[in-house]
Amino acid sequence: MSAVTEVLQQVVEGVGSGAVYASLALALVLIHRFTGIVNFAQGELAMISTYVAWQLVASGMPFWLALPVTLAVSFAGGMLIERLVIRPVQAAPELTTVIVTVGLFIFVNAMAGLIWSFTVKDFPQQFPDGGIDLAGVRVDWSTLGIIAVVAVVMGLLYLLFQHTSIGLMMRAVACNPASARLSGIRVGRVLMLGWGLAATVGAVSGVLVAPVLFLEPNMMGGVLIYAFAAATLGGFDSPVGAVVGGLLVGVAETLAGAYVDVIGADLKVGVPLVIILAVLLVRPQGLFGRAAVERA
Amino acid sequence: MSEKPTTDDTEAGASTEAGRTPAEPDFLKVSDLHAGYGQARVLQGLDFTVARGEVCAVLGPNGAGKTTTLRALCGMVRGRGSVTLNGTELLGRSPEQAARLGVAHVPEGRGTFNDLTVEENLRIGAHLHTGHWRRGRAQRAAVAADLERIYGYFPKLRDRSRQAAGSLSGGEQQMLAIGRALMLRPSLLLLDEPSLGLAPLVTRELFEIVRAVNEEERTTVVVVEQNAQLALDVAHRAHVLEAGRLVLSGPAAQIREDGQVAEVYLGVSVRAGTGG
Repeated sequence: MSAVTEVLQQVVEGVGSGAVYASLALALVLIHRFTGIVNFAQGELAMISTYVAWQLVASGMPFWLALPVTLAVSFAGGMLIERLVIRPVQAAPELTTVIVTVGLFIFVNAMAGLIWSFTVKDFPQQFPDGGIDLAGVRVDWSTLGIIAVVAVVMGLLYLLFQHTSIGLMMRAVACNPASARLSGIRVGRVLMLGWGLAATVGAVSGVLVAPVLFLEPNMMGGVLIYAFAAATLGGFDSPVGAVVGGLLVGVAETLAGAYVDVIGADLKVGVPLVIILAVLLVRPQGLFGRAAVERA
Repeated sequence: MSEKPTTDDTEAGASTEAGRTPAEPDFLKVSDLHAGYGQARVLQGLDFTVARGEVCAVLGPNGAGKTTTLRALCGMVRGRGSVTLNGTELLGRSPEQAARLGVAHVPEGRGTFNDLTVEENLRIGAHLHTGHWRRGRAQRAAVAADLERIYGYFPKLRDRSRQAAGSLSGGEQQMLAIGRALMLRPSLLLLDEPSLGLAPLVTRELFEIVRAVNEEERTTVVVVEQNAQLALDVAHRAHVLEAGRLVLSGPAAQIREDGQVAEVYLGVSVRAGTGG
């Protein structure tokens, strides 16, 4: 195997894990754009969605039926959380909302442990074993499958936001909630919808990553850090940025793990932190974000 | 039918475009309106009425409560007392409910959706009349007709329909804000300081358009302005506020002619500049 194909091999692996980071980062960005809140519990919500999927499959439901059911449950759960947990503190200072989402993180994590215990569960792999060979680079079906699913999710979101009237309204609320109200848009409902969507997109990342990581209540902790790096790199206001950032972080992580001796497999998890730090120092708004503008 | 007060089926059927609908002097009726922010009480019992189809100017020095009055009408600040539009109580409603009742408020500082294109901004204004998901051909045609109507008033917006609203000049943004408000097909249009930060020529153009809208669509307009002279040129009636109370009301022409009154209450000589 030549050096070039070896690098390409690592890039492919990186894109595969990057796609998972991208979808969780997208969930973070959606909520940040709609509410200005950074949702530290996003990973835990994805984790509990994954448990829902696991429970459905374990009780005999075929996976491809369990998936849409899980996504629907996640959507409803996201809306409910907005209404019951976030809405009461929406007007509160930033620190309050941060603490509320951290509290939600701990609560959801503990609930999952209570219901399903902290022992590791095996989540069934949905994509067939094996893969294809592209000019010496081996691409697993599971990698392709993850990339395809994330691409479909992005495509659907794009259609929703750019080509439906409800998507237009959601963008209007994200842009200027006060004016949206004056135009008769029921902003509260739109925010609920935004949280529901984010929870759904996050759930996709959980279900995709579960076969790789094994299912346990703390499984999304690491992924959340990568997603934060992705969102920071791409820009916390930019859905496109979240996707590009996710892929870049995934590739950077695998390449650094494979080629930088000091880092190796053990220190890989430090890569996102370096990325976060570097972005904040050099370009705080991220690649696709806009420089901070005072919110009305 | 709908909850919108614009379509009052009782009279509209009998005397439609004849324009003989009785003047409806109490179309907007503000009685004993109190409003403020926290401890600060700004409005201390305001009473006035605006007839249907009238342009009403609310004038007064800074801090008199002009903006607060508009905000109380559209639900942005809570008020006590009573405000009825065509008999429907407006107080105690949220801004989105007020909008659904036909109140379109163009806030100070415009409040356009800067990330959205000009046309998307306008389409936001149309959403009350169309479904959120499915749009029939009739609805699409109605939105297209509304867009044409707005572009008719503001040809500059048509040229920039694909541009982001944030890239427009101040005057164009104000036009867009008013255009979006008109897309709601409001029965009451509230304009807060439309001249703010705009060049005199642009402001004049804007007020001419407001006049045209009022004449063609009989939209009732309440405009708050620092530039009394300009507002009085367009308005039918004017109310002058001072320290949260109404100190003067009357036909705009009369207030405009009475230079002394204007100087006392408005601190400006309204005749200045038009002498020739």
